[in-house]
Amino acid sequence: MIKSTLQKIYLGFILLLLYAPILTLIALSFNSSKTRSKWGGFSGKWYVALFQNEDIMNALYTTLIIALLSALIATIIGTAAAIGIQALHAKFRAVMMGITNIPMLNADIVTGISLMLLFIGCRTFFPQFSLGFTTVLLAHITFNIPYVILSVSPKLKQTNKYTYEAALDLGASPIYAFFKVVMPDIFPGICSGFLLAFTMSLDDFVITHFTTGAGVHTLSTKIYSEVRKGIKPEMYALSTLLFVSVLLLLILVNTAPQENVKKPKKAPTKLRKATRIVVRRIVPATMILVIVGGGFFYSAQNRSSAANKVIVYNWGEYIDPEVLDIFEEETGITVVYEEFETNEGMFPKVQAGAVSYDVVCPSDYMIQRMIENNLLAEINFDNIPNIKNIGPQYLKQSQGFDPENKYSVPYCWGTVGILYNKTLVDDPVDSWSILWDKKYKDQILMQNSVRDAFGIALKYLGYSLNSTDLDELQAAKELLMKQKPLVQAYVVDQVRDKMISGEAALGVIYSGEAIYTQSENPNLEYVIPKEGSNVWIDSWVIPKNAQNKENAETFINFLCRPDIAKKNFDYITYSTPNIPARDLIEDDAIRNSTIAFPDASELERCETYNYLGTKFDNIYNELWREIKSK
Amino acid sequence: MARKLIDISHISKSYGDNLVLDDLNLYINENKFLTLLGPSGCGKTTLLRILGGFETPDQGNVIFDGVDITNLAPNKRQLNTVFQKYALFTHMTIAENIAFGLKIKGKSKAYINDKIKYALKLVNLDGFENRMADQLSGGQQQRIAIARAIVNEPKVLLLDEPLGALDLKLRQDMQYELIRLKNELGITFVYVTHDQEEALTMSDTIVVMNQGYIQQIGSPEDIYNEPENAFVADFIGESNILPATMVEDRLVKILGVNFPCVDTGFGRNKPVDAVIRPEDIDLVKPGEGLLDGVVTHLIFKGVHYEMEVTANNYEWLVHSTDMFPVGTEVGIKVDPFDIQIMKKPESEDEEAVPIEE
Repeated sequence: MIKSTLQKIYLGFILLLLYAPILTLIALSFNSSKTRSKWGGFSGKWYVALFQNEDIMNALYTTLIIALLSALIATIIGTAAAIGIQALHAKFRAVMMGITNIPMLNADIVTGISLMLLFIGCRTFFPQFSLGFTTVLLAHITFNIPYVILSVSPKLKQTNKYTYEAALDLGASPIYAFFKVVMPDIFPGICSGFLLAFTMSLDDFVITHFTTGAGVHTLSTKIYSEVRKGIKPEMYALSTLLFVSVLLLLILVNTAPQENVKKPKKAPTKLRKATRIVVRRIVPATMILVIVGGGFFYSAQNRSSAANKVIVYNWGEYIDPEVLDIFEEETGITVVYEEFETNEGMFPKVQAGAVSYDVVCPSDYMIQRMIENNLLAEINFDNIPNIKNIGPQYLKQSQGFDPENKYSVPYCWGTVGILYNKTLVDDPVDSWSILWDKKYKDQILMQNSVRDAFGIALKYLGYSLNSTDLDELQAAKELLMKQKPLVQAYVVDQVRDKMISGEAALGVIYSGEAIYTQSENPNLEYVIPKEGSNVWIDSWVIPKNAQNKENAETFINFLCRPDIAKKNFDYITYSTPNIPARDLIEDDAIRNSTIAFPDASELERCETYNYLGTKFDNIYNELWREIKSK
Repeated sequence: MARKLIDISHISKSYGDNLVLDDLNLYINENKFLTLLGPSGCGKTTLLRILGGFETPDQGNVIFDGVDITNLAPNKRQLNTVFQKYALFTHMTIAENIAFGLKIKGKSKAYINDKIKYALKLVNLDGFENRMADQLSGGQQQRIAIARAIVNEPKVLLLDEPLGALDLKLRQDMQYELIRLKNELGITFVYVTHDQEEALTMSDTIVVMNQGYIQQIGSPEDIYNEPENAFVADFIGESNILPATMVEDRLVKILGVNFPCVDTGFGRNKPVDAVIRPEDIDLVKPGEGLLDGVVTHLIFKGVHYEMEVTANNYEWLVHSTDMFPVGTEVGIKVDPFDIQIMKKPESEDEEAVPIEE
């Protein structure tokens, strides 16, 4: 008695451990408060917000249509393959089963990368071929086939092979015999294969991540890109729904075959006939309707398939979404919008050329690198009359990385400085040295970026932040090592949120973010340290392999319009190089803000980054790795 | 004079290195019950599958009613098969099973319903239309399989060990049913079995096969009474197969004793095999027979007693309705026409083999 109670408690404990994370997630999805640490009462508002989010709904639809299509096609191919394998000689059958099982056992990442390489390789023969919906679909079909074979094969093995011959013998053609006689026998296997494939496709992230292209997101890749910017509660709601649907599917997969085995025992009743009609007529008809109807709906919705489009590759949260809507409305050009997180993450994607981006927004030194790597096309300035709105000083500054101003149009600029919380820091802040003050241990946020981290250390030491002197770099590295114990975290976008919420006292931040944080938390102050810092420019460039170059130029010209540039400034609060736009800013405090538009004297102490070449790239990266891994 | 319906000429078939049929020739007459009999692996099922169209021979032709059907697809042949494991469509009702072939031929609903009724009556299963196949017993399933085949009115019905899975009593009942069906329908039956008793009971003609070769073709009586070689003698019923010497016409020396017989034409002093069926041996008092022996085994078999008599260092198998206890001294007597003389086997496949099943 006691033993069985103990057993039950133990079982309950294990189940609790297994499901605790998911239960937490489900609970949080109903939390009306935005923060994780506080329960603000029960609410379904995140579910409402989720269904109102067009991007997520689009991703959901993409996920479903890919899951459905890939499962359906994989089921057809897989069933045919299973029949073929079954007919093979026993020796070859084992070999074939082994071969088809490999993709299932193979690490997803290997499958993902190899598929991506294959698809990119296809471009050699079909230059128009680009990563996107089709490649994701093909990839999903590929990894789904083994699951179908695996669930159909045992059913085929059980099937009395003479029933097929008996049907032939009674005059049935092989195809008729298959559908009339073999199919009903293996139907449970086909069903569970389909459901398994559907679930696998729904579940996949890694392979989709590698094979998807501009503007095509499944739920998993969408969630991933959203999470990078900070987890929104809608994501909890979405994850809860995903969990519930996968759970339902799994229950279906596990119960479907048994039901089907029992069925034939009953004599045909009206109910049986009715279910047969449902299974044979209504279900397939509905599926076809959903797919065909969904296909039309999707192609109407899907921006990436539009003929007249421009594929934009920009930093996360670096444009006012309304600006894109206005652009689409005015020009009739569809915008396919993709985001990147770092210059270093963007570069290989553009270089690989799997997706032909039309217009990209890298930073100064990266533009230099892209020019050196022959990745950029010269911009036709006849199409960009609004270039006149860009202040000449910014074009001049751009010559540091684009000597003849041929490849780039400045979009935003700013400085790197220290953001501090006046209530938490009582010392005067005017030097980088405060970031090495032991008093602020675990209160400091550093940028998780090689050049920014080394730039700070080099400037603090009085060197150039483009230093290629190994001794100087070694000194900078040692300085950063010394700082590491004091640092709360190396982060990128989260500096903003953490400083607003007061989770840290000091943080390295871009000037544009500083303006936004001040509006959210007036206790925050921004300083460009006296030793000098980095001044940076992000500019629009057009990659060589762009397929809609004129649209890209129209897009750049549009962004250079004063009203548009001002709208973007209001949204992203990064300094604009657009002179008439600055004059349009209503708020005097901001128009005259020294953060947004610092004095020329302050800028003189600042440097832009230069591209230092592969060799020094590697040295910087190696030193940075040493710091982070210690 | 019976008409030749199927002519099988020079058929060879092998799977890999395994030669299953070797240059086989056989013709089948219309309206006959022909049985292919042999141990498992003798090629009888392969031959049947070649007739049904499920296998293609490596060499040779199958002529059906004057037309070469060697490469014709199974669904185009005017033959129907009853499979060993019934092969009913378990997800269909009995009526749907029987109607399967007729629906494909596009027969009218009324015609199909009539045929279902008729066929079920024929196999003594009236009223089973709406049952599911796996609700029936083995014998019932087999009869449905037969009904499903015959409604198509084939010229030939191929049966692949159809009774193999049934118990003895049911098997015997089904044997009579099959004979009745054959007579009522007037179709040619080609029947495959390894059960010699089944073959003897039902067939007009028996084809005994071993290792891909035909050993003997003949009526059940011919096959039983006059086996042409040791294999056939041993496979059909139980036999005493004894090495012997043909002294002259009508006299054979078995185990050193001269037996009068009726066979001629084997020459003088030629080694031969002599076959004596156990029921053809009369046990008499010692000294009254041709040789004397002692009863060493006794088993009661129902219809008769089975005994082993050791005489001249040979264990004679004897069936008799009279009982002689173990240890009894007896004399052995055989009538001349009960001794069957055969040539010595020329190849391995003609040798007597133990019956496996």
